[in-house]
Amino acid sequence: MASIGQTASLPHALPARSKGGSGVWVTTREAFWIALEALRAHKLRSFLTLLGVVIATTTLIVVMSLINGMNLYIADHIANLGANVFIVHKYAWAQGYDAWLKARRRNKPILIEEFEYLRDGLKDYKNIGAEAETQTINTSARYQNHSVYYLDIAGVTPNMIDIGQVKVASGRFVTESDYQHESLVCFIGQDLVDAFFPNVEPLDKEIMVNGIPFRVVGVAEKIGSTFGESQDNFVQIPLTTYRKLFSPRPSLEVNIQAWDAEQMTILEDQTRALLRARRHTPYREDDTFGINASDTIMEVWHQITAAVFGVTIAIVAVFMVVGGIVIMNIMLASVTERTHEIGIRKSLGARRRDILMQFVIESSVMAGVGGGLGVLLALLVSTVVNLLVGPGFFNSSVPLTAVLVGLFLSAGVGLFFGIYPASQAAKLDPIEALRTEN
Amino acid sequence: MPPDGVIIKAEDLWKTYDMGEAIQVHALSGVSFEVDRGEYDAIMGPSGSGKSTLMNLIGCLDTPTRGSYWLNGQLVSELTDDELAYIRNREIGFVFQTFNLLSRASALHNVELPLIYSGMPAKERLERSEEALRKVDLADRMHHKPNELSGGQRQRVAIARALVNNPSIILADEPTGNLDSATGEEIMGVFARLHEAGNTILLVTHEHDIAAHAHRIIHVRDGRIERDERIE
Repeated sequence: MASIGQTASLPHALPARSKGGSGVWVTTREAFWIALEALRAHKLRSFLTLLGVVIATTTLIVVMSLINGMNLYIADHIANLGANVFIVHKYAWAQGYDAWLKARRRNKPILIEEFEYLRDGLKDYKNIGAEAETQTINTSARYQNHSVYYLDIAGVTPNMIDIGQVKVASGRFVTESDYQHESLVCFIGQDLVDAFFPNVEPLDKEIMVNGIPFRVVGVAEKIGSTFGESQDNFVQIPLTTYRKLFSPRPSLEVNIQAWDAEQMTILEDQTRALLRARRHTPYREDDTFGINASDTIMEVWHQITAAVFGVTIAIVAVFMVVGGIVIMNIMLASVTERTHEIGIRKSLGARRRDILMQFVIESSVMAGVGGGLGVLLALLVSTVVNLLVGPGFFNSSVPLTAVLVGLFLSAGVGLFFGIYPASQAAKLDPIEALRTEN
Repeated sequence: MPPDGVIIKAEDLWKTYDMGEAIQVHALSGVSFEVDRGEYDAIMGPSGSGKSTLMNLIGCLDTPTRGSYWLNGQLVSELTDDELAYIRNREIGFVFQTFNLLSRASALHNVELPLIYSGMPAKERLERSEEALRKVDLADRMHHKPNELSGGQRQRVAIARALVNNPSIILADEPTGNLDSATGEEIMGVFARLHEAGNTILLVTHEHDIAAHAHRIIHVRDGRIERDERIE
């Protein structure tokens, strides 16, 4: 009994501050384990308490994942015009509804003469090509007794194979010679191969396009589908042939390719200047055409996602605040329940800050666990979405920043809303607290 | 500054409560006494005598309205809450009538609690706590929770907890109040052993049979010391 039982022989001097470092760390770890234990002891109550935080975190992460996935999808499938390519067309593709109404009245299609004007007037570009597309409503293609409807019939300049996104799988593209001679040749998409030539070599076969015979000279690589619509349902023919047979003055998409991103901006400006001059557009009036590049498309998309994200933030904030208030109330009840315990701790030497830390850490840990649950739930939702919507559409991919933001935000909410109950606990008079019955 | 060997010096302690409208209740009215190191004293009195108030002052759970209290050579009667907490942690070992253990923690964790608030690292804490439990013959029960222990065992855990930080005084408030007489005698036996080892023990009780175990009884009535009786 001697070593442990003897009382101290020297007075314990009161230090200027308590034995700082290890003391705070030790009580922090103790508080951490107490928090987890409290969660485990009252699972249902804890879960209900955390519901607000869980929902908020899940919402935040799911939305960010969907937006992330869509960003990638849009960038790949829609905004992807090719490296350093911009497209001059009658319309600007990414504009508001009102702007589009105005454009419908005012804008004029890009005609073949304007294409040639640009081709001759612009300097130092890498490539310039043109494409004309039909309305798909009345189109059909036939081979033997198979038919395909609603296909794109596109008239192209031969260099479009270098500028556009289409690649040659077999055979060849339309050539300069085909272009000069207005030949009846076509370059077909994979959907036509699947429909007409499943087991047979497509090259040199003759198909009827809107009743006109064309010879297949090449096959495109499969592209896939965008928003559920197949991108492989097309034939491409020389633009000259197109003008002769389908539409004498088609509305063109002029594809201009620059050598690098910087030059692309310069070319865009030059194009705008040239066309406005040629069309005698007065200084104050808007363009009567559209210059489309992937950044303008992505910009509109980003406006949409920003709006969605803004709404999401509002929803998440509401849930977090509600969740935080619930946590605060539960912690207040918990403090009341554990008044006696607090009295015991204080009688053993717990200072105000020890009690404060204990309860603040408890509410932070609790909220952090809620955030963790929210992350797991979001991962689950993300996986389910991917399974349902499938690889043909887009992938919801959970960004790491979302997870970290969710966790820290949850813990922060727990910390903030836990301060009031914790300070109430810290202020308890030990004598009163010990008198309280449990 | 009291001479060496005096653990407690209380000088004219008053504790007054304001009940509003200029009504004051004096729980203690000018209590003065000294306790030397190694004494085994009892503070005895009926309920309402002020003995609980006195115990709260001695145990640094509260400060007097007037008067001075030196504990182990240090004037503690005017300390702040945090400073009092520090003194309680290092100088006072409480043993309560209702044991006051944390019900969801093991015996070992209960005993190490004062060391946690001292900031002691885990390894040293465990050693000291195990040692304390061994001294009260509970080493084989250190991982049990209080509801798995008998009343006597719980009180022994509380005693181990009181000792673990080497306090100046052990302050026991009706330590046998919730125990049957046989177990009560066991616990008083533990206190006797602690006293023989050199600890200073203060019992607070209203029962004469318990107070008789001490070597000095301070009788308290109506907030004053009525009699200071030395017995052997």
